Amino acid sequence: MMERKERKPYWRHTKWQMLASVVPFLVLIIVLPLYASSLNGAKFLGFPLGYFLSAHGIALIAIFTVASFVNRQDAIDHWHGAHEDN
Amino acid sequence: MITTSRTRFVNPRLGAYFGIFVSLLTGLVLLLMIFEQLGTSEIVLRWAMLLGPLVLYCAIGLSVPSREALDFFASGRRVPAGYTGLGLASAAMGATGIVAMTGTFFLIGFDALCLVIGGLAGFVIMAVMLAPFLRKFGAFTVPSYLGRRFESKPVRILAAALIAVPLLLLLAAELGMGASAAAWLSGQPRGPMVLLLVVAMVVTVVVGGMRSFNWSSSGQAIASLLALIVPVAIVAVMVTNFPLPQLTHGPLLRQLVYNEASQGVPVVPASQLDFMLPGEGFASVAKRFTAPFGSVGPLAFVIAMLTVMTGVAASPWLLPRVTMTPGVYETRKSLGWATVFFGLTMLTAASVSVFMRDFIMDVVKEGSPARLPDWMQELVRLGFMQFDATASPLIFMSFKLARDTVLLSLPVAAGLPNVFAYLAAAGIVAAALVAATAATVALANVLTEDVINGLSWEPMPKGARMLVGRIAIAGVALLGGAFTLLAPTDPLRLLLWCFAITGSTLFPVLVLSIWWKRMNAFGALAGLACGFTVAVLTILAGEAHVIGLAGALAGIVGLPAGALGALLASLATPGPTRSMLELVREIRIPGGEVVYDREMRLMRLKNRERG
Repeated sequence: MMERKERKPYWRHTKWQMLASVVPFLVLIIVLPLYASSLNGAKFLGFPLGYFLSAHGIALIAIFTVASFVNRQDAIDHWHGAHEDN
Repeated sequence: MITTSRTRFVNPRLGAYFGIFVSLLTGLVLLLMIFEQLGTSEIVLRWAMLLGPLVLYCAIGLSVPSREALDFFASGRRVPAGYTGLGLASAAMGATGIVAMTGTFFLIGFDALCLVIGGLAGFVIMAVMLAPFLRKFGAFTVPSYLGRRFESKPVRILAAALIAVPLLLLLAAELGMGASAAAWLSGQPRGPMVLLLVVAMVVTVVVGGMRSFNWSSSGQAIASLLALIVPVAIVAVMVTNFPLPQLTHGPLLRQLVYNEASQGVPVVPASQLDFMLPGEGFASVAKRFTAPFGSVGPLAFVIAMLTVMTGVAASPWLLPRVTMTPGVYETRKSLGWATVFFGLTMLTAASVSVFMRDFIMDVVKEGSPARLPDWMQELVRLGFMQFDATASPLIFMSFKLARDTVLLSLPVAAGLPNVFAYLAAAGIVAAALVAATAATVALANVLTEDVINGLSWEPMPKGARMLVGRIAIAGVALLGGAFTLLAPTDPLRLLLWCFAITGSTLFPVLVLSIWWKRMNAFGALAGLACGFTVAVLTILAGEAHVIGLAGALAGIVGLPAGALGALLASLATPGPTRSMLELVREIRIPGGEVVYDREMRLMRLKNRERG
């Protein structure tokens, strides 16, 4: 169980983790498709690069973002003793 | 002290059970393929493919009855992350996401990605900003959470009333899409098929409520995923020699791009706010596959993406499901799985459309063949394709496909046995059932918990509570069926409206309720009301062409309206009470007992002392 005085630092840590997960991801998914047409000249695995990054790339980035968030947030929970008991 | 455990509740035999389910399904498909070769009549095969899986889903639903309220409304909180993620990915867009998205990819290529990216981002936002906290709170419905968080009955009732609108839109979209596929499969009109789906839904979930829904929808999601991926993987082996269609259609796509250029497929730059998603019915290819922003303008692309993102992240038919995992950590993980499965489904849909374009391009490249290939004539006979027979030479643009039949066309075009086309249709029915049942159960739970029992935090006695829940499920399912029959509209459009309304109404209020302690009941009321009103008015104005903004993009006006309403009203009124602040502090911390379960336990203890 978490100590009362740990609440503030825990939440500050969590807030920064939220921003670190969400902000770069949002910037990326908004900006990437807008430049797709100029990237389409190059190719990767045979795909036009702009299309590949906007479809497969963003899917991979989303999976990576959630995975890293789960990992980091769990570490934060354990650091502050806020994790579930098991 | 009572603690939550990550693994304590999970049934260790789940894998075996679903293994049996998959074997039964595979056995059915193989058996039907054998019967097809033996010359069994087509109608028997079609009905077997429609009813066989339906019987399996009903059997799963009936075999997990609920005797406790926690089972009936929250599946006992023992659904592991993987199954939750599968269900979330499948229910987010349901059959519309598979069928209409494949068709949209086929017709407008790159521009369809705005919806895919929106869905993926929705899961990311849900994982980071909403799901873990709602899991810690543990309420069965979103209005229950809001009502308790703001200690306000009006917030609870208003949220329940406003949520009903997007849920009914989703229900109508999914039932419509599922009924169309079932009607094609059985050769019967749409009306009876809507009724069949409604009956299947009610039979599946009425006994076990959320528990039945969770396990049957896991089965349905597995079936729809297999039905989507297996035929495409076989086609991928035929075309690219490798069974990974999502990754191997690259060279094919490049070839297609060159051919499209030589065929004169147009590159039309769309203006910033253009949002021309293909509707139902026949259309020819609108633009080159990989060229961005031909049908959807760049600004509209971003707006649609954000609208779908907020809609998925705050969707009241997905959020109750994240409270059914064994713990907060599992909830976060389940969203990771949801991203994986959703991405996989959508990339497969994209590869289907590339294969389909390529098959047609192969015919066109031969100039004007004396006789069109058999599969093309078969597609015309089935009513999936039209073309201008007088056009000479034959060009790519003279072929027209109906948006919602592109997925079913692929097995036919590749010359696979008919059973594969039936399997694809059965998969569409399964995906439609996942999303339609999710909406039905979510709305029925809202009715039971927040409307019928809305004036009291204390639930009804166990028996009555579950009886009301069962009646509500049947009632909502019938209402959805009637709505589908009376107002048939393009399912994709309904789905996008649903996302726009959900995102504007719920997203700002839910996010602020967790991340902004200062928010109070007035803020919640204002946020819900402003977001909903502005979104609905914008959709209506957009559809009536009063303003130059497509209805699906209403989120861009509704979302700031909801957020502003919530912020200003909260700041203008007295701050939250101490107990509200204490509750917010508590849901922010994953450890400790589930808030809702603890309050129910204390209430039972108090009643026992009194009695």
